[in-house]
Amino acid sequence: MKGIHRKQSTGKRQESILGWIFCSPYLAFSLIFFLLPLMWAFWLSAMDWNLMGNDKTFVGLGNFAALFRDDKVQAAFINSYRYLLPIVILCFAFGLLIALLVSQLPEKVKGITAVLFFIPYLTSGVATSVVVKYLLAYNSVLSTFLREKHGIDVNWLMDKRSAFAIMVILVVWKMSGYYALFILSAIEGISEDVNEACALDGSVGLHKLFHVTLPMITPTLTTVIVLATGLAFGIYTEPYLLTGGGPNMATTTWQLEIYNASFTRFQSGYAAAMAILNAIQIFVTLRIINVVMDRFNRRFGW
Amino acid sequence: MKRKKTVRTAVAAVLTVILLMISLFPFYYMVVQSVLPWDRIDKELIPTGFTLRSYEYLMGTGGAGKSYIWLRALWNSLAVSLPTAVISVVCGLLIGYAVTKLSRFNGKKFIMDSLLFQMFFPTIILLVPKFMISKGMSNSYPGMILPLSVSTWAIFMYINYFRTLPDAVFEAAKIDGAGPLVIIRKIAFPTTKSITTIVFLSIFMGRWSELMWDMLISPKVEMQTLNVLISTQFKPMGNYPGPMYAASVILTLPIIVLFLCFSKYFKEGISFMLK
Repeated sequence: MKGIHRKQSTGKRQESILGWIFCSPYLAFSLIFFLLPLMWAFWLSAMDWNLMGNDKTFVGLGNFAALFRDDKVQAAFINSYRYLLPIVILCFAFGLLIALLVSQLPEKVKGITAVLFFIPYLTSGVATSVVVKYLLAYNSVLSTFLREKHGIDVNWLMDKRSAFAIMVILVVWKMSGYYALFILSAIEGISEDVNEACALDGSVGLHKLFHVTLPMITPTLTTVIVLATGLAFGIYTEPYLLTGGGPNMATTTWQLEIYNASFTRFQSGYAAAMAILNAIQIFVTLRIINVVMDRFNRRFGW
Repeated sequence: MKRKKTVRTAVAAVLTVILLMISLFPFYYMVVQSVLPWDRIDKELIPTGFTLRSYEYLMGTGGAGKSYIWLRALWNSLAVSLPTAVISVVCGLLIGYAVTKLSRFNGKKFIMDSLLFQMFFPTIILLVPKFMISKGMSNSYPGMILPLSVSTWAIFMYINYFRTLPDAVFEAAKIDGAGPLVIIRKIAFPTTKSITTIVFLSIFMGRWSELMWDMLISPKVEMQTLNVLISTQFKPMGNYPGPMYAASVILTLPIIVLFLCFSKYFKEGISFMLK
């Protein structure tokens, strides 16, 4: 009894000390690998510096002004929306398709099927790039087949349109099964009552999909769109290995251009400014999406 | 009614199988090409021959100039991914508990604000400065592990999870005189099975597939992860295709096996990610 009493009187301080101890690994990490680099990044963005040398010149907003004249930056800026649109739409469409199919299957095989669709998500972009590059090479079984049987002779990764389409397909292929899990989980969350009511009212098929199922899962739709947006802004491995951002910057991304500016051209200050512009673009885009989706959700009573 | 349902299930099953075949085709292709004789690679969809030459090649110098370099790369991948996943889980668990269950902890708001602030910035902003800070640790495991070791996503997963647990259990344990570490180990941790599985595997997988950071911080071939070694060897006029396929199989297989083993915890975990 005495022990408990003592514990309660000194409990507040004790708990606070304990809390800070528990959070200390995170706080130490954040200080060294987040806060410090973050301030450094903003400072760098006002500098002209080549990463290795000692000469740093203060250029103020000069780097930012130069960004707007850089065709690589323009390409990265525009490409992020060119990626965003088809990736969000296709990921959601395929995710929904997979989720609807899996939800129709017998309970016993549902889990394993969902996991099988999830496998592409687990694959490193490096392994996929190996397969795609060799599969699309001039002498591969696919190219030979298309050339000899159908007269289609495309240098897939050297053509602007097909190279871009391949990047989109790779991302959609990779992510659809992952988003399907979210959508499936939401569909399964729709209560039996609703399904029974639909059956009684004769609402089936596409009518049920558009008037019952989709409105019931709009919050998940928001989640998927926000996640896919983040994804579209983070594309790096596939264009780095397959196209180098080409042909003629058709497949380039922010990540690729920032990497190149920092570590192949050694324009570190300039690259920092580029990354900040990228962050602003992501922030504004996500804000717009949130506002739009909020309106949309409210229409369906969420 | 019953009949209609059977038909619907059958149609769904057929469509599912077709979609699965498309979605898993790259893996089939990768495995087939990795065991084909070298003169037939990329020329056949259905294998007419079988050889382990591509894998044997990787056991030697594997075209990368040093012996056992591919095995070393596989080890490096493991040596980097495993600690990263463990650190993320431990950090997430501790903070999740501190923020939700230590009701009198005076730093709760500060920690939450700091997490939200951090999530607001895309990590690409930090690339150059982070590299400058970590340069002294280049070509070492700490240099690869530490700068990427804490995940705000993992922390939020635990915070959201612990919020759903009733406080009463923890209060009871406290009154019984259990110390905080005992409470975490004996009471909190065992209930987190599905969350811990999903966090551990996701972080492990993400780290296993990391390219940019590992490429920058570990240029030395002995310290490269499998992911980086493949991407540096796989260039026009680089290595032979056979061994590249074999290495890709080795890169992909462990992750898939790991996920299949733990897939039963998965659905539970996913429903938490939605919150």
